[in-house]
Amino acid sequence: MPKALKLNKGAEECGRELLRFLLEGEKVEGVFTLIKVDESGGVAYSLVTDPNVLEEAMPLFPLMPTSAAKVLSRLTLVEPASKPIAAVVRPCELRALTELIKRSQGSLKNLLFISSTCVGVYPLEMAVNGNIEEKLPQYWDAVKKGEIAADIRPACAACEHFMPYNADMTVALIGNKDVDKQCVIYLNTDKGEQFAAGIAGELAEGEVESEVIEGLRSKREAQKKKLFDELGIGDFDIQKVFEKCIGCHGCSKICPACYCHVCFFDSGGEEHDSNYYETELEKKGYVRVLPDPIFYQLVRLFHVSMSCVGCGLCADVCPVNIPLWAVALKTGEAVQKAFDYLPGRDIEEGLPITTFVPEGFAGAG
Amino acid sequence: MASTQRGAIFPAEGGGEGGVLDFIKQALGKGCFDAVLVPAKLSGSDSFTYSLIKDESLLKDTYPICPIMPVQGAKALSSLTGRGKGKKGIAALVRPCEVRATVELFKLGQVDLGNIFLISIDCPGALPLADWAKDPKKAEEAFSELLKGGASESLRPVCRICDKFSTTGGEDLHIGILGAKSGRIFLIPSSPKGKNILDCIGISVEEDISEWKDKVDRLTEERREKRRQAQKELEAKAVGLDKLLDVFSKCINCHNCMRVCPICYCRQCFFDSDNMKFAFEDYLRRAEMMGGLRLPPETLLFHLGRMLHMSLSCVSCGACEDACPTSIPVAQVFSLVGDKNQKEFDYVPGRSLNEPLPLRVYEEKEFEEVEQSYVETSAKQEAQDA
Repeated sequence: MPKALKLNKGAEECGRELLRFLLEGEKVEGVFTLIKVDESGGVAYSLVTDPNVLEEAMPLFPLMPTSAAKVLSRLTLVEPASKPIAAVVRPCELRALTELIKRSQGSLKNLLFISSTCVGVYPLEMAVNGNIEEKLPQYWDAVKKGEIAADIRPACAACEHFMPYNADMTVALIGNKDVDKQCVIYLNTDKGEQFAAGIAGELAEGEVESEVIEGLRSKREAQKKKLFDELGIGDFDIQKVFEKCIGCHGCSKICPACYCHVCFFDSGGEEHDSNYYETELEKKGYVRVLPDPIFYQLVRLFHVSMSCVGCGLCADVCPVNIPLWAVALKTGEAVQKAFDYLPGRDIEEGLPITTFVPEGFAGAG
Repeated sequence: MASTQRGAIFPAEGGGEGGVLDFIKQALGKGCFDAVLVPAKLSGSDSFTYSLIKDESLLKDTYPICPIMPVQGAKALSSLTGRGKGKKGIAALVRPCEVRATVELFKLGQVDLGNIFLISIDCPGALPLADWAKDPKKAEEAFSELLKGGASESLRPVCRICDKFSTTGGEDLHIGILGAKSGRIFLIPSSPKGKNILDCIGISVEEDISEWKDKVDRLTEERREKRRQAQKELEAKAVGLDKLLDVFSKCINCHNCMRVCPICYCRQCFFDSDNMKFAFEDYLRRAEMMGGLRLPPETLLFHLGRMLHMSLSCVSCGACEDACPTSIPVAQVFSLVGDKNQKEFDYVPGRSLNEPLPLRVYEEKEFEEVEQSYVETSAKQEAQDA
């Protein structure tokens, strides 16, 4: 049973207190967390080395401006972190980072992971005019009751993997009725215990799983089914679902699983010479000029679905509201099930497509 | 030269868009060109896509006056001809800003206009992509109201202050709709290629079309004033490093703006290259210098770099703003900067195929006021400081 550390502070302040303790006590050299960047709901991931700057830290603010996985991969791509860094990340971000590390896109060395039982985030487009701040009271109310907070992104409302895998510390939010006065941090690993040693708080033992959490899991599962049904995603017409695509490829640029240096679709591989257009024109009487959303989207799904953690950023940045989160999640689940694989569950678990299994899909051969 | 504006008058019983399509049908029928590039809703799709069409029967599903700009037309033309011209003559029915961007891409070697007839149409503006994506039906209805003379508030902010909505000089042929009495449109050739099309369908270009010219001039003046006003207001909010940082604070580095920009044609942007990937120690040192480092660190630098690279060719088309997931007024800021830079070089992007890009022209004497030598300035200062 993991150790549980109780602090008499509200969750957000508790997070800051922990980060301050780590930084001031020189247990870590830097802290990676969301920092407030403007007065109207903007936050950005930052590497903080001065404890005073932590006043601006918003470790639990319900907005995902980009995937922490992508940023941490970039921080550690050229060389691993040379000094200990505490990173506050959401469960899906930690899973996505784990997948990136499996693909040699960074290193976990010297990183201490602090996560939380995740209630989800609001859509990016809400991060204007203080719209998110207005929602915070009802957000924290949903946290206490273990309900799906109204207006969070559909990808979050449908997420069943809201409990972090492999975090060194977990800030328990869901079901904590006193979340504005008191918080509990579970120390899941030896590393977590070592780093937390010496912090002023009450230490006990406990289990982060609870009935409330089990209840929320069922609610999320039901919500996922409902959203899939509403979108008709079980049996969708790929032509219809992707037809609005304008070819900006924002979904790939923001996706933590899309790490290629130059995407095939930017490489010229998809470009045609005039002969192609004229031949198609003769055959059909018309031809669509780029973008070719179906080819692009299918290839992307093919490449990322094994590692898709359902973070929903693809849908969040789509300028024409294609429900990409649902398409990616549905496809990802099917592919992952076929290989009995859950992305980001375990760093030691090999990627199915790069792990040789002699009898793999024998029937299909 | 204060002569009467001359051009061709073409019947348009079914309204402006219908007239345009009738003209295309006639020209296709007479073999003046082989195919037309135009936004269309084809094969049961509810979305607009630039399509190349040769069958007359498909023209009924085309939208020469499209409510949105799904893809910048110059980008479509670059896809079509970037690898060299084809054998067929293609008429591209695009917006004036799309013509202008095409002309810029031509100068940058990204399109081949050999067999292309650039045809622009008086542009009513476009709706924000996000509004259309939320409710296509409602947006398309609002757009038809607008075409009937309704309020322009539903248009994109850059369209509302656009002063280059009609002929811009870079096209082969312009189709005038403004000021026309019901039942007609105007065809105004701007190049020998454009004139050839009109000769091909056998139509006189000697008609008096001053009603169009007067209306365009009046509206241009109105829009110029609106643009001046809007840019003055924006300057107060966006000029200066602190204010720029504020404007771009919500940027999430998705680079959608760059991807949809017709002028940003680099195969790989510098900001996506290995040049921007640093060693951990480097990030840490930078964080330590300031107490905290926003990641990735080049958020504002990306926009400044992009501005530096494309603002002389920026045609204020608004594609960047349409694609921004955090509603940053990218296009408004970029067109403000573009206008200023272009003025410095007396350059209007897209005005003429023959006008060279300013940065590719050697001028022996230019911007002398910023050309002070080290000896005159810094050396003196350094000597004093020492």
